[in-house]
Amino acid sequence: MEIVVCIKPVPEAETRLRPTADGTRADPDGVKFVLAGYDESSVEQALLLKEAVPASKVHAVAVGPAPRSEEVLRAAIALGCDSATWVDATADTADDGLSAARALAPALAGLPHDLVLAGKQAGDRESGVFAAALGELLGVPDFGFVTDLRWEPAAARFTFRRATEGGVERWESPVPCVIALQQAWNDPRTAKLPMILKSRKAPIAKVAAAPAAGPSIPVKFELPPPRSGAKMIEYKTPEEAAQTLVRLLKEEAKVFP
Amino acid sequence: MSPGALVVVETHGGRVAASSLEAAGVAARLADPAGGVTAVATDAAPEVVATLGGVGVAKLFSLADARLAAAPVAALAAGVLAAAERSGADTIVLGGTAFGRDLAGRLAARWNAAVATGVTEVHRTASGLEVKRPVFGGRATETRRLDGPRAVLTIRPHAFTAPSGAPTPPTVETLASPEVPAAVLAPRRVAVEATATGTGPSLGDAAIVVSGGRGVRTPENFRLVEELAAALGAAVGASRAVTDAGWRPTSFQVGQTGKSVSPQLYVAVGISGAIQHLVGMVSSRTIVAINSDASAPIFKVADYGIVGDLFQIVPALTAEVRRARAH
Repeated sequence: MEIVVCIKPVPEAETRLRPTADGTRADPDGVKFVLAGYDESSVEQALLLKEAVPASKVHAVAVGPAPRSEEVLRAAIALGCDSATWVDATADTADDGLSAARALAPALAGLPHDLVLAGKQAGDRESGVFAAALGELLGVPDFGFVTDLRWEPAAARFTFRRATEGGVERWESPVPCVIALQQAWNDPRTAKLPMILKSRKAPIAKVAAAPAAGPSIPVKFELPPPRSGAKMIEYKTPEEAAQTLVRLLKEEAKVFP
Repeated sequence: MSPGALVVVETHGGRVAASSLEAAGVAARLADPAGGVTAVATDAAPEVVATLGGVGVAKLFSLADARLAAAPVAALAAGVLAAAERSGADTIVLGGTAFGRDLAGRLAARWNAAVATGVTEVHRTASGLEVKRPVFGGRATETRRLDGPRAVLTIRPHAFTAPSGAPTPPTVETLASPEVPAAVLAPRRVAVEATATGTGPSLGDAAIVVSGGRGVRTPENFRLVEELAAALGAAVGASRAVTDAGWRPTSFQVGQTGKSVSPQLYVAVGISGAIQHLVGMVSSRTIVAINSDASAPIFKVADYGIVGDLFQIVPALTAEVRRARAH
């Protein structure tokens, strides 16, 4: 099975966010970009499928600027991906899920793909439109919010679940398809030293994205005013604490049902 | 043509999802009065039509096509865009659900539109729309311009209220079955199981969420959290410590690797407030924390804090909530 896994470098979780000098975007200066969150678990899912289905290959792809895109692709290779393609594009193109899908789709047309995996959303802008847009551009079905992805070799199809507002749906899908994974029900592996060393020299195919104006333009990036800390409820008995809290929720916060 | 706005209606068992009613409110603000608010639904049962009339929908396009019932959301795109073309809408608004999100990306790619998801504010400008939305798990917000002639939006749950007024039933027009590629119709939904969050509202959709953490100590004690949630009519959530320990399934998990929620009220019981958890709930409107450790980081993001023994505080709070709601 030919598996393509799409990853996007994002600032590591501990990053202290701040706007750029012009106030339009998150400042990337000095920020460490990593393979994180949903992408880590979709790489793990790709590798689990590769181990389960004989003669499978996992190809990692990323859309974005240097050096962060190349770095996360090397991290994916160190984890066990077989090859990688970097679509060289601006951070603005990568940040708009639709633009990223448009930049990537032509590159995927030349790559065999039974399954295209992505995370439900990237951990920075959290748009969650990339996979569906890519499905449309490739002319194949896509599914978001997927868990419990399994391959049934006899029927040559995937089975999976989707947790939606209408309940948990069970699905069957032949290939090719695009799947955006909900969450880390798997336990992502860590890279071993020999693989990390090998990944440093691994070839990464580079494709230049056609320059395209993003359809959505960043105007302002703001941090919320720091929360002043909780109003601590003083009490003598648990009942008094409960009464005070219910009164505050009713009268002050106005969120009591 | 005056720009109108089209709402894609999500229905479950003949009922319109609350998120679609909120979307109708946004559509009404964006639509030119002459363009009006139109809607498209796969279920045009009388109750659905009446509900949509109550939120200001003037016209409903019915996409009652048996092939779409168990097909991927992607199969709806052609029909939705046919409705958009018929109605002259330049903006499509969807609820902030799995359905809305999955459809938004596909519609935007197909319609050559700009797209933004999870928006909390939106208004028209000379060049298009301007939207505001939380990013980085609610740790920041961004404002973006969606330039160009068309836009697709999904709205953040609870960020907008559904309009109310004298219901005027919309006119209903049945659309011809759209052409859908065989590849998109090949996958099938084979079953729908009861929601993973039990009998209460679903986690992503709930106006109130009560979550339990490591401080609850045993899986049996977790019922204290569930009883408080039931009293408040809330969904139940959990920290990663709880789902990792197997006390509750991962579908309960709120946080970086679980669900992001933004309810009106979030009650954190016995949760210390690791960054992993905070990014999934910090954009909640009001946060209450109950914890025995006064230095727990959860109190830095909470609006109201109670330091104490949750085994005493939570039962007292459940009783008080029941009493207050009975009045």
